[in-house]
Amino acid sequence: MFFHIVLERNMQLHPRFFGRNLRENLVSKLMKDVEGTCSGRHGFVVAITGIESIGSGLIRDGTGFVTFPVKYQCVVFRPFKGEILEAVVTLVNKMGFFAEAGPVQIFVSNHLIPDDMEFQAGDMPNYTTSDSSVKIQKECEVRLKIIGTRVDATEIFCVGTIKDDFLGVINDPAAAA
Amino acid sequence: MRKSMEKSRPVQKTVVLEPFIKLVKLIARAFYDDYTTKSDNQQKSAKSDNRGIAVVVLDELARRQWVREEDLAKALKLHGKQLRKIIRHFEEQGLIVRDHRKETAKNAKMYSAAVAATTDSRAEDKVKLHTHSYCRLDYSQTTLSLLIYDLVRYKLHLMKKKLRDNLEDKNTVQEYACPNCQRKYNALDALRLISMEDDCFHCENCNSELIVECNKLTPEEVIDGDDNGRRRQQEKLKDMLQKMEVQMKPLMDQINRVKDLPIPDFGSLLAWEARAALAARENGDFNPNDPSRSQGGYGSTPMPFLGETQVEVNLGEGKEDVKSNGGDSSLKVLPPWMIKEGMKLTEEQRGEMRQEANDGGSGEASKMSDDKKSVMENGDDKDLKACLLLLGTFVPDEYLKAYYAALLKQKQQELAEAANQQESAGELASDIQSASTTSVRRVGMKAKLEEEDEEDVEWEEEAPVPANGNYKVDLNVEAEASGGEEEEEDIDWEEG
Repeated sequence: MFFHIVLERNMQLHPRFFGRNLRENLVSKLMKDVEGTCSGRHGFVVAITGIESIGSGLIRDGTGFVTFPVKYQCVVFRPFKGEILEAVVTLVNKMGFFAEAGPVQIFVSNHLIPDDMEFQAGDMPNYTTSDSSVKIQKECEVRLKIIGTRVDATEIFCVGTIKDDFLGVINDPAAAA
Repeated sequence: MRKSMEKSRPVQKTVVLEPFIKLVKLIARAFYDDYTTKSDNQQKSAKSDNRGIAVVVLDELARRQWVREEDLAKALKLHGKQLRKIIRHFEEQGLIVRDHRKETAKNAKMYSAAVAATTDSRAEDKVKLHTHSYCRLDYSQTTLSLLIYDLVRYKLHLMKKKLRDNLEDKNTVQEYACPNCQRKYNALDALRLISMEDDCFHCENCNSELIVECNKLTPEEVIDGDDNGRRRQQEKLKDMLQKMEVQMKPLMDQINRVKDLPIPDFGSLLAWEARAALAARENGDFNPNDPSRSQGGYGSTPMPFLGETQVEVNLGEGKEDVKSNGGDSSLKVLPPWMIKEGMKLTEEQRGEMRQEANDGGSGEASKMSDDKKSVMENGDDKDLKACLLLLGTFVPDEYLKAYYAALLKQKQQELAEAANQQESAGELASDIQSASTTSVRRVGMKAKLEEEDEEDVEWEEEAPVPANGNYKVDLNVEAEASGGEEEEEDIDWEEG
């Protein structure tokens, strides 16, 4: 699920950036530092959408670095148990398959794949129904439901299922081509 | 005294024990009939096979209220240690409550009096004066423990949920195990386990390929996780679920029957003893064990008019009441003066209640044996046991949390009332103990009344006059006074 929230961060800025463009420098450094990171509490920071406020800087003793407390608005993505996501399959093996929904990795184990789909080993490992009308392989898109999340301080990993109504392959580039 | 009885809540009015006893018996047979005190490796020899012992203990407990563990052991011809082990097990399961206290001669007497009052038998008189443990089945204890009823429903719910989830493979995170070092992983670790060489999962320790952990419910199947095995397993699960439903049917029926009945509450050990003693005295049966009578053992001066008071009191309909209920020892008899004052309300209620008791007694008693059989007979309850094992780790705490959350509101309300009642009840209870003679209680009462309505001056004049003639009048006055008080309390209850 996506959220638009306000976060705060203390930015340290090197004295060489001081000048007319101090603010721009500060913001671009903030984006470089923050975007794409993951915190267990808020999820993945997808993008910074605006700066709320920049507090007065504090010069650090000895180094000359200045610390600015910066409040910024950002979009975060946090997967939840029970959430339905669309994801791209990245890897298929006999244990199941891995998929990515943006920054988050999801594993679907083989007992959470519908019973009528069987694993086919080979050059392009895949799961196929007996009439081969549906095929799950690398690069295809699936809709899945998250049944478990593992949230560490800097990492989120999910376990999903496609064994439910309206879940499964939604667009297969190989079949379309 | 009246207050202390009310403390055990409206329950008191219509306690029908039989359905609960039956429930306990069913539970004993369904869940605990192969509980052993031995560890698994000792179990081999047929001689020491004591399966079913838990059932016997539970049955016996259902027949009593509070019981000294020593007496229980004697009655069951069990070794004390063995019994204690079983009882501790049930305590952990939240089925019974225990009370430990340092035994004094007084306490022992009090207990045996209470036993004599509530059952036909007499308790052992010579008790060594050590710390003794008492236990009883916990049908309800609103503050600290669980309802057997809720507990069992929760258990059944968990069992069913587990089976269903397994059946539909829903919400289950697949587990993996290393064949070499037995290390366990689950699907959430998948990212770390995946190896770039062959796309399979490898153990972090020994780098051997992981295998899918077989389902715990049916351990003999599916080691390699192939499809056939899975299908067979599914069928088995479905089978098990059906069997469970059939086997648990009598239990569920009984639970549903009990659902709307008020819950028997014997209260704490002290309260129970006090109540039993009172009931016995009002019963009119002369009880040599009753310490409040035979000796002024509670620090009171013996009152010479005690006997007369009894007679007066018993002239009410209370006595017949007692007689008619006499067979059912567990039914507490309301003190006659209480019946008198609440007459408009309780008369019909009492009638209803007795009928109900009879219905439950005769009807269910006959059904009982059938139900029991059906639980016992159902051939292979092995599977059932298997899924019971799953719940072996059942933690009452976990349940407690959930239960508390729901009860929190109610409790807070009750707390307020309890605070009110506690002081009065405590006061009265100590009165009973220290001097459970009617007149002294009345003095306590009077003191209270003086506080409440100050206009009551006559009391002071009357109290020190222990003449026989005065007593009828005295009682009535008290009844009225306390009747008024009760109304006040009723209002309290509604407010809460």
